[in-house]
Amino acid sequence: MKTKRLLLAVAITALVVAVILISLEAYYVAIALVAGTLIIGHRELWSLIRTRKMPPIDERVRENTSKSVRNGFIFFAIATAFLMLPFSVRLIETPDTVHVLGGLFLSGGAVYLLSYLFYDRIEPGLGEKGLKMLKIFLLVAGISFGTFIISVFLHNAIYGLFIVWFGEDFWDRIGVGDEPVFFFISLLAIVALAVGIIGSLVIFIKGLFSKSL
Amino acid sequence: MGIRMKTRIKEFRAKYNLTQEKLAEMVQVRRETIIFLEQGKYNPSLKLAHNVAKALRTTVDEIFVFDE
Repeated sequence: MKTKRLLLAVAITALVVAVILISLEAYYVAIALVAGTLIIGHRELWSLIRTRKMPPIDERVRENTSKSVRNGFIFFAIATAFLMLPFSVRLIETPDTVHVLGGLFLSGGAVYLLSYLFYDRIEPGLGEKGLKMLKIFLLVAGISFGTFIISVFLHNAIYGLFIVWFGEDFWDRIGVGDEPVFFFISLLAIVALAVGIIGSLVIFIKGLFSKSL
Repeated sequence: MGIRMKTRIKEFRAKYNLTQEKLAEMVQVRRETIIFLEQGKYNPSLKLAHNVAKALRTTVDEIFVFDE
C-alpha cells in the first residue's frame, strides 16, 4: 500500500512538473523527466501490470535511493556553483534561465538515474574485477578531462604571453605558428577521454545486462 | 583483504522448499534482494539478517558465514 501511494505521488509530481515545463517550452526537459520517471519506476509498473502487486520498498532500495539522491544533489550543487562563476556565465550563449535551470535539473536527474542503476544492478552484477576496471576507466576519463581543460588554458596563456614578451611574430619566427606542447597534450587528453568514456560505458552496459538477476 | 561473506540461504530454502519469491514475501523484501543476499553481494542490516534467519527457522550465524 505504501509503495502504491509513493508511486502515485511520484507519477503525479512528474506529470505536474512536465506540464509546467511544457508551458515554459522546455520540451526536452519534460520528455527527459517522463522518460527518467518511467525508467526509475519500470520494475514497480511491470509488477503492477503483471501481478497487480507492488514490490516492497526494502532497506536495499532505500539505501540505493538515498545514495543516488545524494550524488544527484552533489552534482547539482557543483554545477550550480560552476555556473555562478562570472567567467562561466559568459560561456552560455543564450542566458535563458528556464533552459539553464532545465539543463541543470536534467543533468542532476541523469546523475541520479545512473547512480541508481549503478547501485541497484551494476555494482552487484559486475563483481570485483569488473568494478576495478570501471574505476580505472572512470579515473582515466576524469583525469583526461581535467588535463584537457588545463592544457587548453595553458596553451592559450602561453601563446598570448609569449607574444606579449617576445613580439607578435614570435611563433612564426620559431617556425611552429602556434604553441605546440600543450596543444599536443590536449589532443592526447581528448583521445584518453574518449577511451575512458567508451570503456566505462561498455562495462556499465555489461553490468546492466549481467546474469546475476 | 576484507572479510568475505557467504550465505547458506539457498541451502535452507531448498530444505524448506521455498522459492526466492516466497522467501522475499515472508521477509518483506524484493526478490532481487534475496538474490543478492544468496550471492553474498549485499550486506544486510542486522534486522534483515534476523528476519531471514527466522523465516528459515534457524539462527543468523548459521545462515551468514564469514571467511576471515
